Amino acid sequence: MHAITSGTALWYASRATGVVSLVLMSAVMIIGILINRQGRLPGLPRFAVLGLHRNLSLLAVAFVAVHVLSAVADSFVSIDLAAAVIPFVSAYEPLWVGLGAVSLDIMAAVIVTSLLRRHLGRRVWRAVHWLAYASWPVAVAHSIGSSPDLRHAGPLLDLTLTCIAAVIIAIAWRLARAGVVPRPRRAPELMAGPRLAPGGRADEPRAGGPQMNLVPEARR
Amino acid sequence: MTLAGMTHHDQNAEPGVASRAAARARGRTRVRAVTISAAAASLIGAGAVAAILPGAATGTHAASTSHATSGPSSSGPSSSSGSAASSSGLSSPASAPTSGSGSGGQVTSGGS
Repeated sequence: MHAITSGTALWYASRATGVVSLVLMSAVMIIGILINRQGRLPGLPRFAVLGLHRNLSLLAVAFVAVHVLSAVADSFVSIDLAAAVIPFVSAYEPLWVGLGAVSLDIMAAVIVTSLLRRHLGRRVWRAVHWLAYASWPVAVAHSIGSSPDLRHAGPLLDLTLTCIAAVIIAIAWRLARAGVVPRPRRAPELMAGPRLAPGGRADEPRAGGPQMNLVPEARR
Repeated sequence: MTLAGMTHHDQNAEPGVASRAAARARGRTRVRAVTISAAAASLIGAGAVAAILPGAATGTHAASTSHATSGPSSSGPSSSSGSAASSSGLSSPASAPTSGSGSGGQVTSGGS
């Protein structure tokens, strides 16, 4: 029989934090889609929505870190730290664990470029941030492929399908509004980027892409 | 613009700046509250998910049953002690960790 004991705590922690990470990443993805093109959330001004987006991103990163570290430390599954960050080299479930590594690497790239945004060009930062859109479906594939619970009917599968449906609805809403809402004339007030691009040209209004900003507010 | 006009303009602008600052402070407070709520909900959710994972919810009952029918049970999970029917609606006992005696490499499922 199975129970949460000291020997299986890491296994359960890894699974549970993985599920929560997927939910948080879905929330971050949805907010990132909605806040583009002057999107707002009820009761929150735009700058607050951006702050919420950033905070939830950091929360998701924290849960992903616990998910990965507990999976590495768990003795039931043989996943070393290198396999957690280098795709497709894991001895256990190389494809599905590898997809998780890909998603983790993309997330790390987004974080690093956000922290170094002042030293990078806006184009580079945005180009890397476009990868955030790829991180989520890769994480979903990793979740479904590596977890037998998600291959059978049950609450975890329902939760995953709900996340997928919510993201699809957000994308559809965004695409539907794309031709209705005009582009903003100026950059959002709290984005950390300079008003002038390195070449001396003024910042162009954002036409699309995720708006994840992980630079702490105090540094801006 | 006359000096009187500028003064009048400043007097009108002051409440606007103050109200914007107040709105900004309210927004930050809301973001902080939502963030803390999300963090707390995530932790509670993680605990709930761990509890409903196959085998976890039946752990106490299973352990007592195993003890009553087959004598002393091991401290860790084992797949050899009978059926692992779950009362939580999750019917995937194969995804719970199982380890044979001595072989730490037996794996039925990984992290999600």
